[in-house]
Amino acid sequence: MTEQSRIQYKRNKTRYERKKELIAYSFLAPNFIGFAVFTLLPVLFSIFLSFVKWKGGAFNTMQWVGLGNYAEIFKTAKVAEKGLGYLFTKVDLGIALKNTVFYTLVTVPLTLVCAMALAIALNKAVKGAVGFRTVFFFPYVASMVAICVCWRFMMMKDGPINQMIMAMGINYNKSWTADSVMAIWSIILVSVWRNMGYYMVIYLAALQGVPTDLYEAATMDGANKWQQFTHVTLPQLRPTTFFASTMMIISCFKIYDVVAIMTEGGPGRSTKMLVTYIYDEAFSNFNYGIASAIAMVLLVIVLIFTLAQFSMEGKYANN
Amino acid sequence: MKKALALALAVLMLLTAASFAVAEEGQTLTVVAWDAETTPYLAAQKEAFEASHPGVTIEYVDVASQDYAVKASTMLSGGDTSDVFMVKEITDLLNWQEAGYEEPLNSYIESSSYDLSGFAGIESNYAVDGEQYALPFRSDFWVLYYNKDLFDAAGVDYPTNDMTWEQYAELAKKMTSDGVYGTHYHTWLSAVVNWDVCDGQNTLIDGDYSDLAYFYQLYQDLEDAGACMSYDELKSAGLHYSAAFENGNIAMMPMGYWFVSTLIGAINDGTCNFNWGIVSVPHKEDVAAGSSFGNLTGAMINAKSENKDLAWEYISWLAGEEGSLATASTGTRPAWVSETVAEAMASAEGFPTDDASKAALVPVYVGIEMPASEHSSEISTALNEEHTLIMTRENTIEEGIEAMNERVAEILG
Repeated sequence: MTEQSRIQYKRNKTRYERKKELIAYSFLAPNFIGFAVFTLLPVLFSIFLSFVKWKGGAFNTMQWVGLGNYAEIFKTAKVAEKGLGYLFTKVDLGIALKNTVFYTLVTVPLTLVCAMALAIALNKAVKGAVGFRTVFFFPYVASMVAICVCWRFMMMKDGPINQMIMAMGINYNKSWTADSVMAIWSIILVSVWRNMGYYMVIYLAALQGVPTDLYEAATMDGANKWQQFTHVTLPQLRPTTFFASTMMIISCFKIYDVVAIMTEGGPGRSTKMLVTYIYDEAFSNFNYGIASAIAMVLLVIVLIFTLAQFSMEGKYANN
Repeated sequence: MKKALALALAVLMLLTAASFAVAEEGQTLTVVAWDAETTPYLAAQKEAFEASHPGVTIEYVDVASQDYAVKASTMLSGGDTSDVFMVKEITDLLNWQEAGYEEPLNSYIESSSYDLSGFAGIESNYAVDGEQYALPFRSDFWVLYYNKDLFDAAGVDYPTNDMTWEQYAELAKKMTSDGVYGTHYHTWLSAVVNWDVCDGQNTLIDGDYSDLAYFYQLYQDLEDAGACMSYDELKSAGLHYSAAFENGNIAMMPMGYWFVSTLIGAINDGTCNFNWGIVSVPHKEDVAAGSSFGNLTGAMINAKSENKDLAWEYISWLAGEEGSLATASTGTRPAWVSETVAEAMASAEGFPTDDASKAALVPVYVGIEMPASEHSSEISTALNEEHTLIMTRENTIEEGIEAMNERVAEILG
């Protein structure tokens, strides 16, 4: 290829690329328009709603209350008088916040540990590994409602799980979902069980990418299996762990379905979560302003986590 | 080939156009209701109304019962133009009124000189500041259902219309044997403690719940004696009260009057087969026998409807004597009860023929389950949350009631 034809080729390619870019944008446009209309506008509307009192219906029935909704959900006057303890024991928002944070802090590490253990176990050429992978992935594709109803039955009084516990000599016979302490654990258990299959697949893919020569080198240096795990596997999986934990923290804060089906937020308020609280305010009490204010609290929390994780990305996401 | 296809399409278009033209000749009234497919009285009302109003078709928009408040509210806030919405809870009516979804009815009532006296005052629960927003066509109050076969088999006398709660509890324990439960409480707060409002003094929004202790204690004693299924079990199994009673191993069950038509239906289609009857719910010593509590079901006109006059014609017919007769013919209790209507209710096919059941049809007093107020739904949420704690024994009755008092005081401000 002569110099001239090379330049010509490059120019042609650029023009071709530009055309390609346009085509690409035209394909992206529907998605962007869709995003603007169905995501961006509702989010902006929701921000606006958090500053008004509105029971739905005609727009002229909205009343501007400024930060009134926020004062209402945080019960600022009472909390100022009685202290922060009051917020987390008596106020709906504080209780929902406490429950959601507890749920997230337990569910995320537990799911990751289970998923990683499964992935490592099934990464080897064990007999029937493919079958096991399918079995563990199955909960993720099964219907959520069906799963939750089955678990509720298993964890009921005199149900199979309690029978096992009793057989181990522990005297516990009450439905998990009817026990203020165990109810949240029943939700954690179902969430972990359901999601670990999905993250197992992600870990499996990551494990395939770990170069085998690293293990060979480690073996030659006399590293045992555990040392290989902590010094080779774990660091190599760090970007995946980072990605998985980011996704999970965000989805955990938005937990709704499992709670709605298994405990309806009860008993009492022991499993009330931020989103079930939003739902109650919006669709049982029709306080759209209050519901939007709670949604903003949720948004801020998720945003903080996302930003923190973005800022740490450089450190943890790459090797 | 192409020609044939074009021709076929043209014919199809013409046919569609023609069918539209036919539909336009008569008038269609869209009515948003719950469980329209399976609720017998809705079918009876539609049939009777269409028969007396030739050319008008009632078209139900069917919504699942448990989703009704959410779905109907979403439809209304989205500007839906369905003509009539059924009103399930008084709190919904209040929320919708506040949002301006409801057509005010006073001018219609005046111009058609509609007589409200048949409602004996209960229609006022649908009025806000003197303006009527809906008309009740059904008023369910709670009665005590019992399985006659179980009582016959045990050789025990049937429950009566003037039992006290103590007598009832004794009877329930007496009827309890292997595989048979003396009574059954559904998981709702209303099924366990709403009896408190039967005295005409207490309400569930007054902020003082100390009187509920009596009924919680009564329940816990029965649960401990094994005379009813435990709350815990019912909740985790998600057992519906109709399935429980239709199972045939429950001697008594306090439940709303709506269950009459369900039960008649279940016996007709062979789901269950036993003799049953109703009596008035038991009463406290100091409350008149035959007192109960209940709820109203009504219909309102959507402010966005384009057929408001026809919609008024429909809801006024529905709530009046003719509509009430249609409603009563399926074993459902209309809000408008004249003598003719009471007679029709008792003669509904499948309704028990004994005198006690007939006498139970006309309660002495019916308190409102949850009166409408600005805070009704918030109070209801708080009470229900505390209710679950008492029922699961996570809280003692005293702790639970203290929490109810405290939380409602906070809501009332």
